[in-house]
Amino acid sequence: MKITAASLTDTGLQREANEDCFAMDNSTGLYVVADGMGGHLAGEIASKVAVKIIKKTVNHWITKNSPEDELFDFPDSTLSRKGNYILSSIKLANRVIYEMSREYTEYKGMGTTIGVLGIMPSSVIAANVGDSRIYLIRGGTIELLSKEHSMVTEQLELGLISQEEAKNSPLKHVLTRNLGSLVTVDVDVFEIEPMNNDRFLLCTDGLTDLVSDNEILSAIKNGDNPEHLCQQLVSEANERGGHDNITVSLIFVNKQDDERQGIIRKFWYLFKK
Amino acid sequence: MARLILVFNKKVIRDYPFIKESMTVGRNEENDMVIDNLAVSGFHARIDRTGDTYILTDLQSTNGTFVNDRKIISYKLQHKDKITIGKHMVFFAMSQEEQAKAKKTKVDRTMILDTAKHKDLLAKEAEKKGIDIAAQKEKIGVISFIDSSDHGEIKLSKKLTKIGKAETSEIRLRGFLMPPTAATISRRPNGYAITSTSGTKVKVNNQLIKESHYLKDFDTIKIASYKFQFYTRESENEK
Repeated sequence: MKITAASLTDTGLQREANEDCFAMDNSTGLYVVADGMGGHLAGEIASKVAVKIIKKTVNHWITKNSPEDELFDFPDSTLSRKGNYILSSIKLANRVIYEMSREYTEYKGMGTTIGVLGIMPSSVIAANVGDSRIYLIRGGTIELLSKEHSMVTEQLELGLISQEEAKNSPLKHVLTRNLGSLVTVDVDVFEIEPMNNDRFLLCTDGLTDLVSDNEILSAIKNGDNPEHLCQQLVSEANERGGHDNITVSLIFVNKQDDERQGIIRKFWYLFKK
Repeated sequence: MARLILVFNKKVIRDYPFIKESMTVGRNEENDMVIDNLAVSGFHARIDRTGDTYILTDLQSTNGTFVNDRKIISYKLQHKDKITIGKHMVFFAMSQEEQAKAKKTKVDRTMILDTAKHKDLLAKEAEKKGIDIAAQKEKIGVISFIDSSDHGEIKLSKKLTKIGKAETSEIRLRGFLMPPTAATISRRPNGYAITSTSGTKVKVNNQLIKESHYLKDFDTIKIASYKFQFYTRESENEK
């Protein structure tokens, strides 16, 4: 499996600081974006701490092939082992940020959203908390692999408001979950089978507030270079006001080699018979 | 400079210029804006200025704080907002300069709501609209084999269920041409989707599927000589 990826973060046009943070590692196939919140510099700290912890612990567990019971908190039996690595690392990051915000007054009230994508040979794992999104672009369609933990989405899911009301709701930026505000956190994790030519986008709300799903789809469908595409998406958001920090991570998967190997193996198998 | 105008019974009581970084409202005399009324908590609400934005926060008051008749926990004030505290009304007015700036910046800061309060808010709203939240249970997918194999019914409890010959598959199928993983069923934000892998021919309702396909209740899936049906049922709280 061959992966090409690029990431870009931008302060936007109206914020003084960039509280977003990201990490990418093609060797382990781990990608993380985080959107920090909380006054002064605390938001910046929260997103950085989260990204660092997740990257470090997941890499460590993968190298050691740690069993589930050695991880932080209880494992989820509906997930694969690597899915549990990602889940556990997010829970650990939550606890660390929570303790930091209780310990130091300057960090009080800090928190962060998180979006984690793990491209493993056996499965693709998408996990998130808050309103940072993970998209799958496959076969000309775009699909969300993340859940939005905001007041508006919950109202929408319960049938309390309509799509139209949701769009204009003043509660759009009110989150119901994040990392750092409670001692434990519920994480939504999804797993799918990777396919050839799959493209994934991780991004913060600085992009999705201003650029629609369809616009994202047509840009990514028609581009080949992840680096250029990241630039293009960030510029688009900035041209429309850039009211928030913008972070995008684009990951292209190429599995053609694996498939070819599969066919050769099949022939070989026939020969041996 | 912004102003807060305290109104009771349609009469202006007092006009407060916003000269500090933060102002508190309540019955207690230590507040910047004192409202002597039993419907108002000792320390009822606080307004903080951060740069050009004003954030109103309810200080867990007994009777709540409302902006334009909506209950709020934390809220970014805009010009001409009407804040209701007990039986009193407070109008928020920005200077022209600030209005112009606010129009230009329109910063939407992300906020976090605490769990207990948001559950409460949702429950109240649902009650008003007559929707029973408790009845909306999570559903789990099940596949039921309708061929001659002895698989019977299998619950799709995993996020990713692999179907194929490999020993690690959740659902093992036999056959000479059966690949290690012929198809997968993943539980995604919008439901269950089946994906054919290794170029396996997977038919849903007799239609060959290309890449991924979302499953609906009672879809019939065919892989080689295997045939099974998909449906969802309410989960018995097994997560």
